[in-house]
Amino acid sequence: MISISKLLCDLDAEGDGLRYDAAEGSSKPQITEEKQRRPVVVWNTTRRCNLYCSHCYAGADLEAGAGEFSTAEAKAFLEQLADYGAPVILFSGGEPLVRDDLVELVDYAADLGLRPVLSSNGTLITPEKAAALRDVGLKYAGISVDGLPERNDEFRGEEGAFDAAVRGIENCLDAGLKTGLRYTITEANAADLEAVVELLADVGLDRFCFYHLDYGGRGADIADLDLSATEKRAAVERLCELTLEYHDRGEEIETLLVGNYADAAFLVEYARETFGEAKAQVVYDHLERNGGDPTGERVADVDYEGNVHLTQFWQGYSLGNVRDRPFGEIWEDESNPLLGALRNREEHLTGRCGDCQYQSICRGGSRLRALADTGDLFAPDPQCYLTDDERRGDGAGSIVGGTAD
Amino acid sequence: MVEKEHRTPIESGNRGNPTPQWELFVRQEAGEPMYHVGSVAAASGAEAHEHASRLFGRDAVDIWCCPAAEVDRYSVRGLASDADDRGSDEPHIDEETADTPRVRES
Repeated sequence: MISISKLLCDLDAEGDGLRYDAAEGSSKPQITEEKQRRPVVVWNTTRRCNLYCSHCYAGADLEAGAGEFSTAEAKAFLEQLADYGAPVILFSGGEPLVRDDLVELVDYAADLGLRPVLSSNGTLITPEKAAALRDVGLKYAGISVDGLPERNDEFRGEEGAFDAAVRGIENCLDAGLKTGLRYTITEANAADLEAVVELLADVGLDRFCFYHLDYGGRGADIADLDLSATEKRAAVERLCELTLEYHDRGEEIETLLVGNYADAAFLVEYARETFGEAKAQVVYDHLERNGGDPTGERVADVDYEGNVHLTQFWQGYSLGNVRDRPFGEIWEDESNPLLGALRNREEHLTGRCGDCQYQSICRGGSRLRALADTGDLFAPDPQCYLTDDERRGDGAGSIVGGTAD
Repeated sequence: MVEKEHRTPIESGNRGNPTPQWELFVRQEAGEPMYHVGSVAAASGAEAHEHASRLFGRDAVDIWCCPAAEVDRYSVRGLASDADDRGSDEPHIDEETADTPRVRES
């Protein structure tokens, strides 16, 4: 996760300690005092969802999945995470609000010292539910909207989903919950991006997370709806401009990018062109501490049956199952050659990722996209949009290695 | 040999999300032991092997793909035994959305 507002506008946020080792000196209360050593864990609490979105990585369905955790199993699982020292548990789905024990489990996670956050489509969040989640210690609600009403509802397979999601956002904000937008950018909705930010900023939202499409679950079926490299670059550039425009007007919105670490290199290039070498160096240093693509390291996923995945998008492969071994034991087991190779991916990257000057802040981008596109785990990410000059540092110069003053 | 603790069965009937899971066992070099390296989701054994080959083929001389639901597992530990004292083992679904879940109107 890359924060445009932090890097370009120096806007502090509670997650900076996790992302940039930047807790010290921040005016915001920080999630951790030290840089995160354990993964944020996404937990698909249920397969069931009241919507049927075309890009769902979890392949969620209207029907419940067999093998979902009971409340007692869920609590034992949360204890595993707390014992291991996971800093954050993201309650996801399916749609987590279809579980009637969600409030109880968020409460239990908070009591164990985990930071509970929520990923939801927002359509089931009533004022009462928002207040209950706030009262038991929920720290953040990320609500998915993927375009203006007509486009969003088509994407999500349900008429009225947009309006219901906005009501959910308003209910969270009214309850005093920190709330943000989750927006997956595709060819179908890239044009709506600015209007959605404007509309939701008007209702009081100030955090906007933009996801690139990854090729897991149903996302693989709509890979042809992914933006081209040129379009992707234009969308990210527009988000940078939008962030600066809002901040210039005194509206401190937080904007973040997820799922394509070519964005990290682009932000360095953008900072150089817009602000000069010194700012580009600061941005680069922050991103180097961030550590690039987090697969198999700083993000983990556990599906509704207990299978542990390298990220939430890697549903096709599991390292093990928490019904068999505790989460921490699975995550630490580097006898698994795939896990070992991913954690030392610099030794294996090939092609344009192999000799890229930005490797230390990108780390090869999405290995899942490379695998889906070529069958080769260490081939270049097909959605890298950097030019050859940028990759080689042949153009305006290179700051890699700290040559800027 | 004396058993240290009592092993109990671990649930393994529902190990597909929703595609069936195949437990993977890999021998990286001839003469080395074979060991477990996780599982893949695949509709058939052939597809599981194809998937596993992409992930482990560069290292492995042998790959076994075993239907996860057919593996009997016994352990002295496990999520279920940790949860045993906590009561109900049924998944919890919100009754308000249990039949035909729809976008809430208010």
